[in-house]
Amino acid sequence: MLVQTLVIAATSSAYMMLLALGFTLIFGLMRIVNFAHGEFVMLGAYAVYVLTVVCGLNYFVAIPVAGLFAGLCGVVAERLIFRPFLGDELGAMITSLALAIILQGAVMIIFTVDQLSVPRPISGVLHFGSIYLPNDQLFVAGSSFLVVIAFHFLVHHTRLGLALRAVAQDTEIARAYGMAPSVILPLAFGIGCILAGLAGALTVPLYAVNPFMGEAALLKAFIVVVLGGLGSLPGAMIAAVVLGTTDAVISVWFSATMATLVSFVLVVIILIVKPSGLWGRA
Amino acid sequence: MKFSFPSALALALVLTTPLRAETLKIGVVAPQTGPGAAWGLALDAGARIAANQVNEKGGLKVAGKTYQVDVITYDDQYKASETVTAVNRLIHQDGVRFIIGPLGAASLLAAKPITERSQTLMLSNTYTVKALENTKYVFRVLPTSREFVPPFVAWLKQNRPALKRVALLAPNDETGWDSQAVQDEAYKANGFDVVAKELFERKQTDFRAILTKLLASNPDNIELDTTPPPIAGPIIRQARELGYKGQFTKFGGVNVSEIVDAAGKENAEGLLGYLGADPNSKEWEWLETQYAKIHKNRMGDFTFFFYDATKFLLEAIAKTGTVTDTTAVRDAIEKASPFDTLIGKSFWGGKKVYGIDHQLYTPSFLVEVKDGKGTVIQKLEPK
Repeated sequence: MLVQTLVIAATSSAYMMLLALGFTLIFGLMRIVNFAHGEFVMLGAYAVYVLTVVCGLNYFVAIPVAGLFAGLCGVVAERLIFRPFLGDELGAMITSLALAIILQGAVMIIFTVDQLSVPRPISGVLHFGSIYLPNDQLFVAGSSFLVVIAFHFLVHHTRLGLALRAVAQDTEIARAYGMAPSVILPLAFGIGCILAGLAGALTVPLYAVNPFMGEAALLKAFIVVVLGGLGSLPGAMIAAVVLGTTDAVISVWFSATMATLVSFVLVVIILIVKPSGLWGRA
Repeated sequence: MKFSFPSALALALVLTTPLRAETLKIGVVAPQTGPGAAWGLALDAGARIAANQVNEKGGLKVAGKTYQVDVITYDDQYKASETVTAVNRLIHQDGVRFIIGPLGAASLLAAKPITERSQTLMLSNTYTVKALENTKYVFRVLPTSREFVPPFVAWLKQNRPALKRVALLAPNDETGWDSQAVQDEAYKANGFDVVAKELFERKQTDFRAILTKLLASNPDNIELDTTPPPIAGPIIRQARELGYKGQFTKFGGVNVSEIVDAAGKENAEGLLGYLGADPNSKEWEWLETQYAKIHKNRMGDFTFFFYDATKFLLEAIAKTGTVTDTTAVRDAIEKASPFDTLIGKSFWGGKKVYGIDHQLYTPSFLVEVKDGKGTVIQKLEPK
């Protein structure tokens, strides 16, 4: 049971990383606590539903398209909604809450409240003695991990990544060096939303789609990001592993309720001891 | 005979103005948005279908007056605080004396003191035993686990004798605690060995950890109880992926298409569940057609109960000849038992368990999933 639990922990951690990275990227650069992040996960999931079930597109082609769609929605949201609130953290936070409600309502009107399903492109289970590894969950964990590596490469080994980090550290100095925050910021918001959209697109065959699926995704992302330190990418990655493991172990040996409770207790303790989170800037 | 211009105008106005019918307001409090919306929309549609039926026939005749039935719906988002606001608004601002809803233990228990004090009649649903405690004006218009689980488990014992070890899984809230206690009692009373009892959070999507623990107890039947159908599907699939090959039962309400879609046809094969109405009946077909005129989503069996509830409420109002005396209407509803519903012969009972005969007893349907479709294999009459 221990090995099976660790397998669950590893697959959950990879998915949590993917959920949290976009959230923390947007905060790190724009100081926006994006409470609509879960709704961008939902948009990715609905995009896959439309592309595969309605348009008949292959699921593996639909995944990047859905990610890009969520990213495009993110760019539009940044330009039209969040731009006026740059520097106003409270205003942006309230606006993101309103955006979450609007997106939920719009999806409810278009697709109704029914639970929608996407045919599973991957099935089967790998057996290793008493350990079971469902192929579809392996695919989600593996893909999430690859996306996280690609994202890490983008941030640390490309000119765009350098610009992103520069703007995050000091917008005015970055501007003085010829970088254009008016281009970098929507791009960063879009990348954050691509990550969210990919998380939704990857998991839609596992969990199905409904207009309220973003709430659970946001909660996971929020806990990971607060624990890791708001705005910290390495912090989010470490926190995802810590929370994925504690969640799996406590759920198996005690209960899911206890696991949720411990997650929040952990967040409170970390915030008391180190208010900036595990890896966050003071 | 000479008419002055003003008197002619007044006469013309009188002659050309249609007779204004009185309005009877019926309140609906249920989630129209949020995770409980599918149930709330079903409740709203049930009330509206019954009201439309009466209005299309010219209105409800009450003590010589004709009333158009006006359904006023408030969305409580499945939150007790919103329910209280909605109920207060219906009673104090809209002047409503009859409410259909709310759903869920927390909402009903929060609204009950207000409706009891103002003698507002409430036709509601929640599984908790407390719903009908110390109440005079609440009717529960759906059967709960207490009514339908014992005969279903008895059927299972008789028809699936190989099943011996049962694991119970339910949501971690008032509804889940209550229904799991009922399931536990029913399975034990029928000689089953209850090897595990687990609760999960409604917002959970990943059940592998809880299932790993549950499967370690080696059950040959997993009872999914009041697990909402959109969650039951992933649970079934994840359990199969973890190597579980046994039976699934869901004697707490089932939506076959939702479960099959999420679980996969092969994983849901053989699932046994409770349904409030027969999906292959002509009554279902008729109600589904009416439902489609009101809401766009798929209809579930919930709509039957609230259609019938609104119908017998309106019949009781017409019979008593009052739209304000809720005590008289309540007495008329009680006295109408037994009565016919779309589902079949039903009656009020429950005094022994709940202290008052305000619990609906109605036929229930045992459904088995075969090749991705739900087939009713047994209709169980209420006792």
